[in-house]
Amino acid sequence: MNGPVRRLSIGLFAGFFALLLAVTWIQVIHADVLKADPRNSRPALSERGKERGLIVTIDGTVVAQSVPDPEDPRSFVRQYPEGPPFAHVVGYNSFLVGSSGLENAYADELRSRRDLTISDLVSVILGRDLRPESLELTINAALQEAAYDGLGGLKGAVFAIDPRTGAVLASVSSPSYDPESLLGGDAATVWESLLADPEGPLLDRATREIYPPGSTFKTVVTAAALDTGTAVPETEFPDPEEFQLPGSSATISNAGGGVCNDGQSITLLQAFIVSCNTTFADLSIQVGAEDVGITAEALGFNTDIPFPWTVPEAIYPVHLLAEDPAALAQSGIGERDVRAAPLHMAMVAAAIANDGTTLTPYLVNRIFDADGNTVETFEPRPMGQAMDPATAAVVTEMMERVVTEGTGQAAAVPDVRVAGKTGTSMGLDGLPNPWFIGFAPAEDPTIAIAVFFEASPELGESASGGGVAAPLAGDLIQLWLEGSP
Amino acid sequence: MTRNTEGALIVAACVLAAFAVTLVNFAQERTVDAQTALTFLVLLIAFGGLHMAVRAFAPKATPLLLPPVTALTALGFFQIYRLDFATETVRASSQRWWILIAAGLASLTLLLFSRSSISILRRYRNITLLISLVLILLPNLPAGWGFPLRGLSVNGSRLWVLLDVGFTTFQFQPAELAKLGLVAYVAGYLADHQRALREARRHIGPIAFPEPRQLIPLLITWGVSVLILISQRDLGASLLLFVGFVLLLYAATGTTGYLVAGAFLGVIAGVASYLAFDHVQRRVIAWIAPFEHYEDEGFQIAQGLFAMGTGSLSGAGPGLGRPDLIPNAATDFIFAAVGEELGFAGTVSVIALFALTIAVGLGIAFRSRDTFRKLLAAGLTFVLAVQTILIIGGVVRLVPLTGITLPFMSYGGSALVGNMILIALLLRISHEEAQ
Repeated sequence: MNGPVRRLSIGLFAGFFALLLAVTWIQVIHADVLKADPRNSRPALSERGKERGLIVTIDGTVVAQSVPDPEDPRSFVRQYPEGPPFAHVVGYNSFLVGSSGLENAYADELRSRRDLTISDLVSVILGRDLRPESLELTINAALQEAAYDGLGGLKGAVFAIDPRTGAVLASVSSPSYDPESLLGGDAATVWESLLADPEGPLLDRATREIYPPGSTFKTVVTAAALDTGTAVPETEFPDPEEFQLPGSSATISNAGGGVCNDGQSITLLQAFIVSCNTTFADLSIQVGAEDVGITAEALGFNTDIPFPWTVPEAIYPVHLLAEDPAALAQSGIGERDVRAAPLHMAMVAAAIANDGTTLTPYLVNRIFDADGNTVETFEPRPMGQAMDPATAAVVTEMMERVVTEGTGQAAAVPDVRVAGKTGTSMGLDGLPNPWFIGFAPAEDPTIAIAVFFEASPELGESASGGGVAAPLAGDLIQLWLEGSP
Repeated sequence: MTRNTEGALIVAACVLAAFAVTLVNFAQERTVDAQTALTFLVLLIAFGGLHMAVRAFAPKATPLLLPPVTALTALGFFQIYRLDFATETVRASSQRWWILIAAGLASLTLLLFSRSSISILRRYRNITLLISLVLILLPNLPAGWGFPLRGLSVNGSRLWVLLDVGFTTFQFQPAELAKLGLVAYVAGYLADHQRALREARRHIGPIAFPEPRQLIPLLITWGVSVLILISQRDLGASLLLFVGFVLLLYAATGTTGYLVAGAFLGVIAGVASYLAFDHVQRRVIAWIAPFEHYEDEGFQIAQGLFAMGTGSLSGAGPGLGRPDLIPNAATDFIFAAVGEELGFAGTVSVIALFALTIAVGLGIAFRSRDTFRKLLAAGLTFVLAVQTILIIGGVVRLVPLTGITLPFMSYGGSALVGNMILIALLLRISHEEAQ
């Protein structure tokens, strides 16, 4: 009788073996898939209350930190001490509405690896540090705060770069929100109301929204014209009241109407200083879509810019414009199909300031561990030579003249050579989007900046780049140069 | 291994439970409190007491059986205690009482059989059968009458009996005890008719069957029991009884035809219950595609898989996971809850402890010289093994869920009482065979 019992025993133990195989599949082989399933809330729940790394600016201002929860000493609460000016850069890490910004992009580094399990013990024996790592940003806190204050709650953005390295000095979007308001139990309600706000406080207008750059794009067309030898600053152009678009009854006119000079002729330099639209419509067609496109793309247009988060591509549609001279003329003044974020236009200014070499902007200077030791540093990364260094020098001189005697005089800083270009593009409801891009000091630039205001009724229909954006750029350049080492 | 080593291992398992409960307390921001001592003492009194009963009434019994059972009960209790914090229930205190009651009844079982011998179950097998059938029918008592013993309907299944003893009431599932009685009856019947079953054979083609007339009483009893259970919608118990019966029949006769016929009947019964009961259909859907039916049928299985997957190798740690997200974590899904907090290490330990228990039970059957004791030991072990494989297999998605609880670990008193008495019977058989 032991025979049948033995055979049944073998069957039963085959059953137990199958159970072992099944748990091996679930808990070892397939575990990561189950863990990562979006319907599995356990990983997010276990992150809650855990310590996260610091985020500090290069000048030592803490913009994100974890402090012990006063109600629960074993758990941590996240704080964003600087609040709204840093909201779009730092982002938030909310248990209820997810995460964004650097909190999202550097989640792996900022996360504590301490799980209070046996694997912690193993990691400690292997010498791994379980404490979260921290980020040091390239951002200058004073400049960031001043830019946010300068935007005055209006819709707009400021993006500033160190043209020598590509380090981001400021990245501000306005209006903003308090990221700590998304950490509480009512986060979902707050999130809904922020999303419904017509001012769009959640939008990052500095790096994640693209707009027509207007006349600031004339810097790109000028660089292309000089590089290709199509024109020099002294080249004379006709000075009509209106430029007739080829193959169309439509025309391009100048800001405020009328002619730019004497109605007869105007040099490229003069046209640049007063931002003459008719001249640049003409010049754009003369240079051609392919050649403007080469310069634009080397400056970061139509290119995926590596950044902690996905930056939309700035648009210069070469093939479309090559077949449509009317559109090409309009795009010569940064209208029609041309689009760029303040980040891209700051890159343009920085490349001109940096002898024509475009640098990839970077936001994180270094990652350091809980003892302050550097884990990883970020180095300047050139994207390529966008224009001849001689061209860059000439465009710089022309931009200086804009600030000394042209549309950008409001950006002037006493005793500093500021180079700049204004722009006023067509925004929503026919209202203007004022722009200013520039850098300083012109002889040895340490800051390149793009200031942008989005069209709004508060800003009015007569706002211009020279009137609204240039003064703020001047103030920020002055602040930077006074404080910079 | 000696009796003293058994005692030491039991104490070690009790210490382990107290330690786990303390870790849960730490995870809940509490310090060492009375729970630590209480857990240790309750388990020590229950299993230490049972150990003493073995020393007194079955001194020659194997010392290998109680330690894994203590460890499994301890693991289950820790998880029930832990789930109480998340679900705001007080199951742990009631489970503590049931552990004491179950160990007490197991000791009592050892005492009862020490006077005579386990063979009285064979001699009075018809009385055993009668008692078992009465027990199975108890839940069909009216729920509203004045008598202190009433039937109780829970979730559409008529499995429970309510005993009103004046100052408090007890709820239990008599089928858990009836299961043991039916196994004893079948073992006794087969032992008595063994020679006839083996020698009087009929041939159908190449397969030899025992004379069917010999089997008729057995088939009738068994059929009646299964039908009653199905009428009470206790499909898990009917499946268990069916499989246990077929395995025992094969063990007694060695006729492969019974396994084939059993499998064939099992498939027919499975299809029939699939067509007849919509909750069977829901369980099959949940088994085949839990993630596609995440919102309804598949939610429990998917949550169980998420829990075990997130626990991965070493688990979240006692009190640090979220096993409360799994519906019925303290009963049907306690294995997944342990898998989340103790990880792969925990689930493998649980499977190993069950395998050890089953192996010891089968060893008792192998070594038994008396036919009845051999069949009884084998039958009881089969029931325990099939139950374990079916429920863990359901949680890890090898088979559909059957609504059986995990022996020794799941929350619930009747199953614990039944399974502890089962262990006491195995211990008694082991003792008698060693004499």
